[in-house]
Amino acid sequence: MRHTLDRLYNAAGVLAALFLVGTLLMVVLGVTGRLLHFHVPGTDSYAGYCMAAAGFLALAYTLQRGEHIRVTLLIEHLGPGVCRALELWSLGVATVLSGAFAYYSIRLSFQSWDFNDISTGNDATPLWLPQLSMAFGVTILFIAFVDNFVGELKGQRIRKAPAEAMHNE
Amino acid sequence: MNEALITTLLVVALFLLLGSGVWIGLALAGVAWIGMELFSSRPAGDAMAVTIWGSASSWTLTALPLFVWMGEILFRTRLSEDMFRGLAPWLERIPGRLLHTNIIGCTIFAAVSGSSAATCATIGKMTLPELKRRGYPEDITIGTLAGAGTLGLLIPPSIIMIVYGVTADVSIAQLFIAGVLPGVLLATLFSGYIVIWALVHPDAIPKIVERTTLLQKLHASRHLLPVIMLIALVLGSIYVGVATATEAAAFGVLGALLLSWTQGSLNRATLFSSLMGATSLYCMIALILSGAAFLTLAMGYIGLPRHLAEWIGGLGLSPFVLIIALTGFYTVLGCFLDGISMVVLTMGVILPTVEKAGIDLLWFGVFIVLVVEMAQITPPVGFNLFVLQGMTGKQITWIARHTVPMFLLMAAAVLLIWFVPDIITFLPRQMKIG
Repeated sequence: MRHTLDRLYNAAGVLAALFLVGTLLMVVLGVTGRLLHFHVPGTDSYAGYCMAAAGFLALAYTLQRGEHIRVTLLIEHLGPGVCRALELWSLGVATVLSGAFAYYSIRLSFQSWDFNDISTGNDATPLWLPQLSMAFGVTILFIAFVDNFVGELKGQRIRKAPAEAMHNE
Repeated sequence: MNEALITTLLVVALFLLLGSGVWIGLALAGVAWIGMELFSSRPAGDAMAVTIWGSASSWTLTALPLFVWMGEILFRTRLSEDMFRGLAPWLERIPGRLLHTNIIGCTIFAAVSGSSAATCATIGKMTLPELKRRGYPEDITIGTLAGAGTLGLLIPPSIIMIVYGVTADVSIAQLFIAGVLPGVLLATLFSGYIVIWALVHPDAIPKIVERTTLLQKLHASRHLLPVIMLIALVLGSIYVGVATATEAAAFGVLGALLLSWTQGSLNRATLFSSLMGATSLYCMIALILSGAAFLTLAMGYIGLPRHLAEWIGGLGLSPFVLIIALTGFYTVLGCFLDGISMVVLTMGVILPTVEKAGIDLLWFGVFIVLVVEMAQITPPVGFNLFVLQGMTGKQITWIARHTVPMFLLMAAAVLLIWFVPDIITFLPRQMKIG
């Protein structure tokens, strides 16, 4: 089970990275098209979809790397008992919120499909397709939060200090 | 219950969620949800999904993940070693000598990197051991590095400027160009401080070991060529108007890959780790932006920004007093929050006030970045302090104490840009396109 979940997070992370490469390719394609006077319709929109997919699919992977930012000032300076209670509280809140977010993301994609929603840009993409990345990504994040919550409850969760996360901003 | 009371409750709820360690992006979304339920009849969940989807897939934002990736590639090259070798010979005669590699190194690297902590880490991994080996005092070395690292935010490309530009609907290309002169100004202030410090403490700076001739200096400068070409590619293409910020970011990624390849540091492992590092770093920012996008929508229904603007407008404050008050406010907020969260959290509320006071939003963007820079070096939450703590093993309070002069210089810079706004607006006015 542990193994399967970790593989799920990592696979989604790698897929997200591929979408980041996709974002780059779309922007490059757009520029090349403009310079060499050929036109590929909708590269701007595709770049946006790729970026969204990169962000959403990496959510659980980033959580497992300990890179999502939170205020740890209190958690770090309290005794182990209070710290555990706070950790359970914030994991609980995160589970509920990501669960709701996942539900409404799936609903959005379904409604776009149901109403046959088409992008207003010149890419004319059926919107449910790119929106699937949000539905999948946030659902995997929800699974990861449930996973962490249960792990914390059983006392098996390893808290990760963001070691490499520091070279951001 | 009246609206003021509910608004207060929401703010309290926000700080409780943030303070108890709930992930920032989710905490913002949670408060937005409560606000939507209380103040509007629109279904909160559906509004959230649509709003977040719209902001996460918007074309303007695509510059952000690309610049993040570019920084991650350069972090894994020998760029900082090369820059040190190219710069060091030129600094022999200036008081404070090699201490200036911190400032100039960070200034140059900031022009290819969008983040302050990355700038600090990349330059520090070279200058800290080199300066220590040559006997430079540690306090001033670390203090100036912490300050100069923040230039990564002000000198374009800049992640936080993209975030501000998207939130405030200001041209990112113009913001980038507007940051150049204030960045150079700040670097000059830092270097000036080192010169004065070195003149006051003549014994603290180690003696010159070897002298180089002009020819040797010029020859050593060849190490600077790759980074200068990269800067010209990214900033030049924006300035002359051939590329948007996003396109310049794509050029930057390709240029960084090329540079890494010619140096021989590009292989499957570094490519993969830069890609994964960039993906998770972008994802971290994207989660905050998502929560903030929903919160901004909810704020519209709550009417908090409008009320705040009316209230502050009613006080009859002069814009100058407003700016001073905001500087203080952000400095305090920066003690607890990171820069991006600070900007996205407050912009939705404060922009109407700022606009009403007649302050130019382009100017305000640079101002915000400068204030966030100050927050980067104030404890207990200051990212550059964390980075330097990790690199040197010193206590965060020790580092913060030796960074105080840099903090004061930044405060002086805020005053300077207020009294001479042309420092910000001159270059953008010269640009070819808007």
